Amino acid sequence: MFKNKKVKENIIGYGFLAPALTLLIIFLVIPVCMVIYYAFTDYYLLTPEARQFIGLENFKRLFADPIFIKSIWNTVKFVVWIIPVQLGAALGMALIVNKQRKGNMFFKVAFFAPVVMSLVVISILWLYLLNPNEGLINTLLEKVGIASQPFLTSPKQAMYTIVFVSAWQGAGYQMLLFLGGMQNIPGDVYEAAEIDGFTKFEQFWYITMPLLKPTVIFVLLTTLISAFKLIVQPMVMTQGGPMNSTMTMVYYIYQTGFTDRLGGYSSSIALIFTTMIGLITIVQRKLVKEDKEV
Amino acid sequence: MRKKIRPLRIFEYILLILLAGVFIFPMLWMVVSSMKPEADVYLNLSSLKAFLPSFNPSEWFTTYKEVIKRFSIGTYLINSIIYGLTFSFGSIIVNALAGFAFAKVNFVGKKIIFGILLALLIIPVEVVLIPQFTIVNSLGLVNKRLAVILPAMASAFNIYLFRNFFIAIPEEIIESAKLDGAGIIRIFFRIMLPMSKPAVATVGVLSFIASWNDYLWPLMVLTDRSKFSMQVAITTINTTQPVYINQVMAVLTISTIPLIIVYIVAQKYILQGLGGSGTGIK
Amino acid sequence: MKKRSRMIAAVAAVLMGIMTGCGGEKKEEVSGNPGEIKVWVHFSDETPEGKAWQEIVDNFNEEYEGTYKAVTEYIPRSGSGGGYEDKVNAAITTNSLPDVITLDGPNTAAYAHSGVIAPLDEYLEDADMDDVLDSIIQQGTYDGKMYAFGFSESNVGVYYNKAMFKEAGIEEDQLPTLEDPWTWSEFQSVCKTITEKYQTPAINMQLASGDEMLTYGYTPFLWSNGGNVVNEDGTKAEGYFNDEKTVEALQFIQDLVKNGYTTISPIEKGFETGKYAMLLSGSWTMADLEENYTDIEYGILPYPVSDTTKELVSPTGSWQLAMTTKTEEKDASSEFIKYATNTESSKIISLGNSVLPIRNSTIELIKDEVSDGMRVLMEQNQMSGHARPVVVAYPQVSRAFQQAVQDISYFEENPDIQKVVDARATEMQQAIDNSLK
Repeated sequence: MFKNKKVKENIIGYGFLAPALTLLIIFLVIPVCMVIYYAFTDYYLLTPEARQFIGLENFKRLFADPIFIKSIWNTVKFVVWIIPVQLGAALGMALIVNKQRKGNMFFKVAFFAPVVMSLVVISILWLYLLNPNEGLINTLLEKVGIASQPFLTSPKQAMYTIVFVSAWQGAGYQMLLFLGGMQNIPGDVYEAAEIDGFTKFEQFWYITMPLLKPTVIFVLLTTLISAFKLIVQPMVMTQGGPMNSTMTMVYYIYQTGFTDRLGGYSSSIALIFTTMIGLITIVQRKLVKEDKEV
Repeated sequence: MRKKIRPLRIFEYILLILLAGVFIFPMLWMVVSSMKPEADVYLNLSSLKAFLPSFNPSEWFTTYKEVIKRFSIGTYLINSIIYGLTFSFGSIIVNALAGFAFAKVNFVGKKIIFGILLALLIIPVEVVLIPQFTIVNSLGLVNKRLAVILPAMASAFNIYLFRNFFIAIPEEIIESAKLDGAGIIRIFFRIMLPMSKPAVATVGVLSFIASWNDYLWPLMVLTDRSKFSMQVAITTINTTQPVYINQVMAVLTISTIPLIIVYIVAQKYILQGLGGSGTGIK
Repeated sequence: MKKRSRMIAAVAAVLMGIMTGCGGEKKEEVSGNPGEIKVWVHFSDETPEGKAWQEIVDNFNEEYEGTYKAVTEYIPRSGSGGGYEDKVNAAITTNSLPDVITLDGPNTAAYAHSGVIAPLDEYLEDADMDDVLDSIIQQGTYDGKMYAFGFSESNVGVYYNKAMFKEAGIEEDQLPTLEDPWTWSEFQSVCKTITEKYQTPAINMQLASGDEMLTYGYTPFLWSNGGNVVNEDGTKAEGYFNDEKTVEALQFIQDLVKNGYTTISPIEKGFETGKYAMLLSGSWTMADLEENYTDIEYGILPYPVSDTTKELVSPTGSWQLAMTTKTEEKDASSEFIKYATNTESSKIISLGNSVLPIRNSTIELIKDEVSDGMRVLMEQNQMSGHARPVVVAYPQVSRAFQQAVQDISYFEENPDIQKVVDARATEMQQAIDNSLK
């Protein structure tokens, strides 16, 4: 009986998993294995048949490549800044729209609006707005007596500007996820808390946050990973410049792989990139352990 | 009690509207810029006039007429809608099934597979583009519509999201359904899915947006123009010199409207909550 | 543990299957009938270029009815080739290229070196090559053989605002001509007058673009000064890109920025809206000006030249046609390429897409039909067009060049130009060496 049940669970488990697993293996796992293999070859996109195994050659070159080293620091800098800014904003927005009020629908749509807009239009728009000469932001700054800022054209400010634009663009996404989590908290918990005389803040801190924990962990993890994958904003707004100050790892993977056609070299960066984030993710998961382990 | 809160309420609304403005103004700029001649877009750039349409209402739709004349927008829109809907429908089913398995079934190797799944989250799409194409090609799917939607359908992110929702559903509900004689598939479709409408809606919306905004992949696997999506038109118009910014904005406006509609429809479900009991914080 | 290794084995097995599957299987494109060829182009058929192109293809199919037939697949690129080039790369990996492809000028070396495209010389004997512009032959030639044939040409000039010039006191007879262009110092003094008069930069030189425009637009300054990016064979950058001639040319650019004559952060469409008096740009800007900014009266001036050599050099380069090595329809493909680059076809694409012709005979033919500005560019192109370097590692070389230009434009951070070019020349050299291994 016991054994029978176990077999049944396995059949059900893998049965439910089958469609996703098949697709993932075909379209993700196998490609990843191919990329891992490429990382140790001299694969040049235009001569795939001449591909040869060259051992650790790519990695040796990589660590002598100043742009690669710089891209690591730029990426880390971006991640360190964007996580608190974007998640803070997202949580705040979720709390705002989670309250019943007239016209709430408008706010929900407004906060989410940047998410549905194409990154290209957002990048073009901010490029115009942030133009050091006659851009709207600087015009406004001057009106309140602050000197014009170079923003994206300054090697010092460019990355922070991208952090700001990205957080502004992406926060609606995490707001949606937080909101989903908050809706999962039964309303009567709050009613009980209200009767017990909890203040709004106490309700947030002692009820919302603990019950939201799985969502927070999920959002933190996925945002962290997608922050590491930053590419479109610097690609459109700064082309990685000025002076490589916004060159990120994935952008460099793209540039070496697609523009320069160095499939092997690019794959070796990809391998380092994934290993690095893999380790960070493991550490992060150890630090913020979920109550209910899988 | 209510009366005392009033002025605070008004203050709250003013703040909220300002905040909403911060998020909504690019969309406003986009729509407004599509409704004036190109030169005006640039002439107005450094003043608040940037957010007002042309003062001459007869000019409002000329850009749209030009764009529709230049491109077969209708075909692209229909293609995009087909890809978006099938992709998000497929995403919901495939990922919800897997998420359910991780949340509620105790099969052997669950921990390891889930670990691998999380590892897959890390892979940037740019990295696997060429190998993915190789595979699509060897499966004979090039220039098939299926090639557009299949590769990204199973997503570690969405599986993870579903799993989190399903975990929150009490075990007793499943047990009592089992006692009533319901099979596992029936439980999944009749109980689990309807109970996790917020997750279904979230995955649906996010998948739809992802599919809608993807340019590179459809272009790579399709050769037949009648199968191209809206993004291809946007790219063409945005990169063919000279670029007319008002036309770019018109195309973008056309392509953003469906996304807003999808979101408005879905957000109703996102806020429905578990079993309809989530009325939110009062 | 056992489970895990079993799974890894399974994945590995599938993986091996796929990889050997791709390697071993030679998937030939089934092109319907003999004499029928497939052509990939990088634009959409909903653009003026696409419409002109379709006309050429239709003409070809009519003329060769019963013998050859060309079918075009339109693949709209993004930016400077992304999308389209990614698709070509993927097709190379899966051996599914069509018979004829388009490729951007600077890609000739890489594609030829890798055996993606085949030399055309033996087919071009009756193509009247003396009539073809030098710049077209330069950009399509690798290792002494002509691999790719440009079907349109481009050029850049200095747009100027007539009213603003007049107001600043610059008379018509002071303006440069193709025979007597401004030297760098003359250009600088004009910039000074204008900058002082209007209290804004005199010219937008597209320094902010940060892309291929920088290589395209700024290499002529080096060449005019007798400098170079790489040597003739495309094997050496060190000793070429970091020599004193390059430094002088870049010094000229840096001075323009330092003196405020140009800017790294121009106002959007500043020239078109009458805020800047000059703009460095290509023929595409004319269409924009004539359609949307009709109140700006403009003219086009030739490139400023080095004080020492006084030699006029202007940028050129555009997309070309090439036959893939895998095609089985060599005759049809080469016949098509020849047809699409003849005098008549060049006329169709030039007029249809507002671009420059590739043949002297076409220039003669349409000279009187085009605008003044277009004529200046056409003639400047004929006289002084210089193709970009033909190097296998072009993407990296070009990017290093772009970054060098960007670096020196930040004159406070990088006052030492020699140091910048030394570092970038090393980068170029490494990329070149790796590409030729």
